[in-house]
Amino acid sequence: MSDESNSFWKNVVDFPANVRKSIFRNPLPSSDRGRAATSFSNLFLHIQPVRVSRQALRPTYTMGLGLISFFLFVILTLTGVLLMFYYVPSTTQAYGRMLDLRSSVAFGVILRNMHRWAAHAMVAVVFLHMCRVFFTGSYKPPREFNWLIGVALFLLTLLSSFTGYLLPWDQLAFWAITVGTSIAGYAPFIGKALKFMLLGDATVGQEALLRFYVLHVVVLPLVLTLFVAVHFWRIRKDGGLAKAEEPEAQPVIEVAPVPEPVPAMAASTSAAPARRFSLQGLVRGPFVKVDKIDPDTVFSWPNLLIAELFVLLLTIAGVMLVSILFNAPLEQPVNVMHPPNPAKAPWYFLGLQEQVSYSAFWGGIGVPGIELLLLVLLPFFDRGKAGIGRWFARERLLANSIFLLFVIVNVILIVIGTFFRGANWQFVSPF
Amino acid sequence: MRIALAVVSLVVLVGSGVVVYDQFQSRWEDNQRAYFHQALDLSKTPAEKAALEQQSPKLEQTIVTAFGEQRIDRCQSCHIAVDDPRFSSATEPLRTHPYSAAMGDVLKNGRWERRHKFSDFGCTVCHDGQGRGLDMADAHGEDTSWPSPLMGYTTQVGWNKTIASHLQGKEFMQANCAQCHTDKDFAGTPEVKRGRELFFKTGCYGCHRMEGLSAGTLGPDLTEVGKERKIDYLWGHIVNPRDYTPTSIMPQFKLSDDDRKALVIFLKSRRGPNTAESPMDVFKLQVSKETPVPESVGAAALNALPATTPAARGAQLIQGYACLSCHKLGDRDGGISPDLSYEGLMRDEPWLLDHFHNPRSRVPDSNMPAFGLPDAEFQDITTYLVSLNKPPAPMTPAETYKTLCARCHGDNGDGHGINSVYLDPAPRNLTNAEFMTTKPEERFLSSIHNGVPGTSMPDWAKTLTDDQIKGVFDYVWATYVREPHRQLKPRKIAEQNPVPSSPESIKRGEATFMQRCTGCHGRKADGHGPNSIDMSPRPRNLRNSAFIHATSDHRLLESVTYGVEGTAMPSWMDYGLSQNDIGDIVNYIRSLNATNK
Repeated sequence: MSDESNSFWKNVVDFPANVRKSIFRNPLPSSDRGRAATSFSNLFLHIQPVRVSRQALRPTYTMGLGLISFFLFVILTLTGVLLMFYYVPSTTQAYGRMLDLRSSVAFGVILRNMHRWAAHAMVAVVFLHMCRVFFTGSYKPPREFNWLIGVALFLLTLLSSFTGYLLPWDQLAFWAITVGTSIAGYAPFIGKALKFMLLGDATVGQEALLRFYVLHVVVLPLVLTLFVAVHFWRIRKDGGLAKAEEPEAQPVIEVAPVPEPVPAMAASTSAAPARRFSLQGLVRGPFVKVDKIDPDTVFSWPNLLIAELFVLLLTIAGVMLVSILFNAPLEQPVNVMHPPNPAKAPWYFLGLQEQVSYSAFWGGIGVPGIELLLLVLLPFFDRGKAGIGRWFARERLLANSIFLLFVIVNVILIVIGTFFRGANWQFVSPF
Repeated sequence: MRIALAVVSLVVLVGSGVVVYDQFQSRWEDNQRAYFHQALDLSKTPAEKAALEQQSPKLEQTIVTAFGEQRIDRCQSCHIAVDDPRFSSATEPLRTHPYSAAMGDVLKNGRWERRHKFSDFGCTVCHDGQGRGLDMADAHGEDTSWPSPLMGYTTQVGWNKTIASHLQGKEFMQANCAQCHTDKDFAGTPEVKRGRELFFKTGCYGCHRMEGLSAGTLGPDLTEVGKERKIDYLWGHIVNPRDYTPTSIMPQFKLSDDDRKALVIFLKSRRGPNTAESPMDVFKLQVSKETPVPESVGAAALNALPATTPAARGAQLIQGYACLSCHKLGDRDGGISPDLSYEGLMRDEPWLLDHFHNPRSRVPDSNMPAFGLPDAEFQDITTYLVSLNKPPAPMTPAETYKTLCARCHGDNGDGHGINSVYLDPAPRNLTNAEFMTTKPEERFLSSIHNGVPGTSMPDWAKTLTDDQIKGVFDYVWATYVREPHRQLKPRKIAEQNPVPSSPESIKRGEATFMQRCTGCHGRKADGHGPNSIDMSPRPRNLRNSAFIHATSDHRLLESVTYGVEGTAMPSWMDYGLSQNDIGDIVNYIRSLNATNK
């Protein structure tokens, strides 16, 4: 046994350590170099930067809303996959399956509750996250595109929640989807076709259930995952979370010009280096950052990771507590002949429904369409540098006030639609 | 940070613990252990004792496939002593299921033998509930979402408390017995039988279809109502339909609680094709062209009628068809539909026959069903009704109002008589002085004299003398209107519509109507516009042809131009409609009623 490293006994003794090393390339880091390497060499951790600004870690700055949205999405995916083992997208079986989940399936109640409440929470948290990004001016260049991705994610979240709403096939689901798709039907030119495409029929029925199911469990989650990936990636590429008093960084990624070939003669006459290298010509600035570390940053390991772990546990704890305390609603089985009065859309569309009660086109399509257009155009027309990275910056008083007004109006409409509307959409007092 | 992290970790851990504990703690195991323990004390032989000591809790389930959908009944996981006669006086859940000779159980050599063995029938076939549930609330169906809670024992959380108190008792289970024991005279289902009789005696059959039993079309089909509805809904809907469907025209029948119970049990037993029927039976019933006739006047009963004259037969048919569960005739009053006591003086034979074949041909918004009876029977009933032509004995005006008018117009003259809910158009509110004092006296007298076509107001000219009519009118004025007649400013209204009717005029009228009138009168001009719900009197149904034909151009023009005082109809002259616009509208309204004169 000349080769000491290949000794059988040694391999046996080192087996656990070797396995561990093969998985985790670095030991638990004790030095700065180790901390950097840990973040860098792990698939899951390399999504994080090696160093992260102190401001991004401050709970009062982000409130962890983006992360909470993501973790809710993870919870939804896990519980959703488990629920798929029990669910059949058939008008004759779906409701029975819900009842089974309630009574006969192991952990069925908690699964369904967690999925339901996490879905509602995700709609709310994604919206709050959007508010946070606006009020801190974080959508400004260079982050315009990520704002657009965010708007798309918000819409995808709404759609996912909406398509899932139909699946229990109870009265609540059936009539909420009937109302919701009717709102879509008010769109000009394409409204009728869109509604028909969604439902696969003139009314909500077996085809609609199947379509909503496929959208809910395959199409939308895939698209959402893709967009989430882009969203995260862009955070890194746009320089992390928006910070107050950002350095004069060039937002645009420039392809470094390929230098002219230097004649050998000239090289010999000049002492200065003829070429500078940048990583594949794409990375901004010099690659080596020794001694150029922003003093206002800390290592991601362990600072960022602990914060993320905390948010994850907080999210799970919240969803779990609500799910233990409150059962997800399940109403009577679908009865096409007996609409409840009033038939209400899911709560996040009740603002729309309230608007629709004033004007079908303007309430259902016109106003929300304009609002969406404003959201999309916003980062390209509000490009001022002032007030980025601070909550309710004085310099952004006008923009923040306008946005706050929109938020308040929409919240009030939802509250009216939820609590103040009774039979025939008459105004009723909940007190 | 570390403390916060520790706290949330703890919450997650405790939460998971709660979830797992909740999943794995099972009451049925405790129940079984209690049973083994008690049975051990009761057992006599050592072998029995030894066998019991070997026992450990296990899930007991019966899979029943013989009766419709597959059922998995795990009820005996808790109710493990159902077949152990030693536990007949124990408390639930460890109690013997009672033995009953009426249910076919036999006592052999001192041991009962069941007719309906649990191994064959399971439990939910008779009891309902959720067979697979292992938690009491689930198994008994206490959750509002469960469609069939334990029949007669469990009332669900969402049920109205006043109703729920009536829905207890094992007789409700007869609805389930009737799924297999379909013979209508089956001794075990007396309540179903009584409910079935009530279905005809109360007149339900007139509006509701029930495959093989009745052919009504006015109300929902009840063939499968027992599958679609729970007993709390059935009970509550019979007590007051408008609690459930605000726009329902179903009458509130006067029934005792016992009658309601029998009806609910009967309705609950109707679940479409049942296990006793072959697919061929179902098909034959579906394609059958025969109109089912009420059993109370089935062919046999009709032939046995002692009466020979048509009028006498008619009198008996009126009883047999349960007409008086809605109408009033003499002393009997269903409290829902008009008084027939003087029908011969108010309506003639063609009117009655027309009305029988299709009530809405004469009163377009009537809630009377079109009974599909043989013509000969309609003829007999008509002959009988026409023979009711004896005017009432002379009365004082106050008495006249009380006997003849108050049933619709109300004891207080406010138009809220006992049957006013079911009349459309509703009876006039005579206390509406603004309306009453601005219309000419002749119009009221004419309405009493000649009736109002297209409504339930009959002509009283033959029932009352002119003096009596004037007397009642004066009485109404002095008692309810109590204001002098108002002299209106002279109005310029043409007698005839100044705009001749033409397709162009009708088109213009329609355009104006769609713009200005549909909010109340509705896009169909049927008086059911979105604003109509809160209005009293309700907007006129402008497709009520009988009424429109009997109304002069003059009155239509006046109503649109100057509005109708005391109602929501405004003066459209003030809203910028010209004489020509209004003429166009009148032409449009007339055109709506042109086809069905």
